[in-house]
Amino acid sequence: MITAGVDIGSTSSKVVVLEEGEKILSKVIIPVGAGSSGPARAFEQSIREVNLSREDIKRVIATGYGRNTFTGADQQITEITCHARGVYELVPGVKTIIDIGGQDAKAIGIGKGGTVSNFIMNDKCAAGTGRFLEVMSRILEINIEDLADLAASAKNEISISNTCTVFAESEVISQLSTGTAREDVAAGIVQSVVGRVAGLVKRIGVQSEVVMTGGVCLNWMIIKVMEKELDVPVIASPMAQLTGALGAALLAFESAS
Amino acid sequence: MTQLKDLLSVLENVANNPAQVINKCLEEKRLMIGCAPEYCPEEIVYAAGMLPVGLWGGSTSIKNANLYFPAFACSLVQTTLELGMRGVYDRLAGIIVPAHCDHLKCFGQDWKVAVPQVRFIPLAHPINRKLEAAVEYLKSEYFRIKSVLEEIGGKPISDQALSEAIEIYNDHRKTLREFTTIARDYCTTITPSLRHNVIKSGYFMDKLEHTQLVNSLIRELKKAPPEEWQGKKVILTGIMAEPNEILDMFEDYGLAVAADDLAQESRQFRTDVPQGKDPLEGLARYWSCMEGCSLLYDPQKNRRFMLKTMAEESRADGVVACIMKFCEMEEFDYPIYKKTLEEAKIPLLYLELDLVTPSLEQVRTRIQSFAEMISRKR
Amino acid sequence: MPEKLTSRNLLNQLQTRHYTNAYAAKMKGQLVGWATSIFPQEFCETMGLTVVYPENHAAAVAAKRGALPLLEQAESEGYSVDLCSYARINLAYMKSQAAEIPIPLPDFILCCNNICNTLIKWYENIAAELNIPMILIDVPYNHGYEPTPAAIDYIKSEFGECIRQLEKITGQQFNQERFQEVMILSNENSRAWKRALDLNQAVPAPLNGFELFNYMSQMVCARGRQETGELLKLLIEELEEKIRLGKSCYEDGEKCRVMWDGIACWPHIKHNFKAFEKNGINIVCSSYPEAWVLLYEPGNLDELAKVYSMIGNNTCMEYQADKREREVKNFKLDGILFHVNRSCKVMDFMQYEQQRLVAARTDVSIMNFDGDQADPRNFAAAQFETRLEALMEIVAHNKSAKKSKEVTNNDPA
Repeated sequence: MITAGVDIGSTSSKVVVLEEGEKILSKVIIPVGAGSSGPARAFEQSIREVNLSREDIKRVIATGYGRNTFTGADQQITEITCHARGVYELVPGVKTIIDIGGQDAKAIGIGKGGTVSNFIMNDKCAAGTGRFLEVMSRILEINIEDLADLAASAKNEISISNTCTVFAESEVISQLSTGTAREDVAAGIVQSVVGRVAGLVKRIGVQSEVVMTGGVCLNWMIIKVMEKELDVPVIASPMAQLTGALGAALLAFESAS
Repeated sequence: MTQLKDLLSVLENVANNPAQVINKCLEEKRLMIGCAPEYCPEEIVYAAGMLPVGLWGGSTSIKNANLYFPAFACSLVQTTLELGMRGVYDRLAGIIVPAHCDHLKCFGQDWKVAVPQVRFIPLAHPINRKLEAAVEYLKSEYFRIKSVLEEIGGKPISDQALSEAIEIYNDHRKTLREFTTIARDYCTTITPSLRHNVIKSGYFMDKLEHTQLVNSLIRELKKAPPEEWQGKKVILTGIMAEPNEILDMFEDYGLAVAADDLAQESRQFRTDVPQGKDPLEGLARYWSCMEGCSLLYDPQKNRRFMLKTMAEESRADGVVACIMKFCEMEEFDYPIYKKTLEEAKIPLLYLELDLVTPSLEQVRTRIQSFAEMISRKR
Repeated sequence: MPEKLTSRNLLNQLQTRHYTNAYAAKMKGQLVGWATSIFPQEFCETMGLTVVYPENHAAAVAAKRGALPLLEQAESEGYSVDLCSYARINLAYMKSQAAEIPIPLPDFILCCNNICNTLIKWYENIAAELNIPMILIDVPYNHGYEPTPAAIDYIKSEFGECIRQLEKITGQQFNQERFQEVMILSNENSRAWKRALDLNQAVPAPLNGFELFNYMSQMVCARGRQETGELLKLLIEELEEKIRLGKSCYEDGEKCRVMWDGIACWPHIKHNFKAFEKNGINIVCSSYPEAWVLLYEPGNLDELAKVYSMIGNNTCMEYQADKREREVKNFKLDGILFHVNRSCKVMDFMQYEQQRLVAARTDVSIMNFDGDQADPRNFAAAQFETRLEALMEIVAHNKSAKKSKEVTNNDPA
């Protein structure tokens, strides 16, 4: 039986196609998300790659911010449940998941058998989300992917005291205009996001293994700082931003069989 | 069955279109008094022959109220002031505003300036409410409100009228208690949003008429056997569970309401006004008898135990904290009952709600995740 | 010859002693209380109780840049970031006792909501978490110009209840004679405090208003005590001397006289101070320290109830506007700087209308800025500096406009 998981984030679309709930046939990431042609394109590409058609897929589950707008799915499940399922498959000892998404940051507590025992999401403001990193990267005139490397070379990390994105923006600009090194500012930005998200994690209680998912976990500097903040080792999910799609595909397999 | 549907649609219509009821009231030349959240002595208004109208804000964007409030005032006061400034409440003969919290204190003062056409009738409850002196003091506040209403209505309010109003209100409270208990057994018919609307419609109707309708509804419901419910049940706690869309989301994800601890709903009717010789004193003493609300002084925080008991007795699968963004009263209680519920292994969802910029998709994800979590758990 | 003791030195000594004494008392097994900053201290002072003030403590923690870890701790326990930062700091401190300046945990707490109702929720949580008695003196919000007779009776009855509870907690009797002495002393200190504040009406003002925030601590923590009187006497002498010499607190004089409206922005107070100095702005007065001027006829409990009920935050729109109007005139203000304090809802939510009212009644220039009393994250230095400069420009413009008007008026034609 073949199933698929489609994870539609605010900035990217991810698809995993799975055979018998075990073998990954294809995985696709397209860097445009909800509200665009990205999800449909990603889905088509993922099945075309392995010469399948929609009819060959027994069940499709959509997840992520744009899950309700994707018409090709049989069911919608939230990214909370899908991340939990996906990470449990990859790291069976997982107890805590951290996911920093574009719109939402979340901490998920994992109970027996990979079920969600508790979860918490950030409040409405953008502090501690991918969006915050994006805005700040723009001010630093770098790609968000390069933020970690820049931050790593910091000599005198500054602290960004504001959590309000608008205020933080003016704070960063004034730091740069008074001659603070860009790498020191970058390190301050990473610290600020991690501090906010670590606060969320503490609210549900930190239990090892702690796994980070989503695109942000490719940012090794964030993982490092998070380990320091939480005082426990943090593992990057082996499938990074595809973890949610994997979980969705697994859940599709389980509900279809 | 059709009668049941008719009754529900009547009540739902009132909840969603209060203007129609208000217009009817105007035709009958009955004066109306707005009652701001959360606890107003509606009985006095009723005894004056006027219609008390509950004002609990509404989903709208802020264009005027930001002349008075910065962005971090709760959306209940923001939207009520906004609607007032737009003239939506111009037909009211006055508005009673209790000073329960810092937001409401300022709201009243700002109303006085921003909406001068609708007379401001202030009210400051005593917080040390178990003291006998508190009853005396509150009685004096109610006496002043009574005098203002007598002046507006141009006729005195008799003790007998007050006693009758209290009786009508207590009867209404009893009926709503019965409704919320029975609704639990008919979760398919009484969806979360219908349950809310049945209660909410009472804010825009004569309580006598509302009691009759809800009683008929109860009778109609009882004709069918209790419904099997496949989904999960939750308890709602907080000030209110609006905007309306969120209750539909509960339904979408198979969640029914087992019971509520909302200021807009059960907190208004779980206690009766004590009967006695002096009706104003009875009303004042009522304030000392109520329990389990973030606005009621509670140094032991008994609310946490009430919530736990409520969850156990109603066999709820979880509790949803409907936190009005920026409501400090509720935000302070949350960490306390969070601990109690966690210890009792009762799942709890923190749902931040906002009438002004609702970000409904984020709310949807939280509700759906919670539904998935409690469904997979058991 | 030993160096002359300045009021500033004495203040530091007294404040240090306040905290060390409290700790020592706890160590000796004595009861310690926590109280809100404008609780009628007359009652606990009469009983000779050791009391510390969490608001004062939270401010001190924030000024020493120690707020952030406690704020984050509170948030990780489920407290919303939107809640009052003093409350968050204190509720976290209660659990971890992690602060540079330690205060002993309380055996009882005293709460008066004349500042805000937030205090009640905050203190309820302390009482519930530590399982200790809470004494509440509720002063109903004054929607009229002053408290009604019924409200006065209610508050007086709460005074009685407070005494009963204190007697029960301590096992000692409340001494009426001592009560009278404390009331007399408290009034003397309040009068001296008012005198010190009013001396800043002089042009140029002898004291930098930011200093007021420091001296204020003594009025918060010990306004019923002898040593506070000594401190204020010293302060007044210093100020009178400066006035006699015509000395401004700034070397090159004060260019602009401004009222700071609201609580200090403690985590950024040094920055604020420098920004004022740079612009030649003197904060000659503030609504904040003035709250501890509590004058009544000693022994008259009606007046005691009234004065504690009529703290600025607990009064109506008109009363507050009248008070601000008086201050603009008495202190010859050029401007008012309003702190839109993210923590203090009760101050913020009438502020916009207050600004309009005061502007309409006086010719004062008004500016506001976003900040927070103790959460360093809710303040932007760039915004603050820009606003200050804008205020200076407006004041300068208004002054020259006024001058040219005066010239026109003096024109004999």
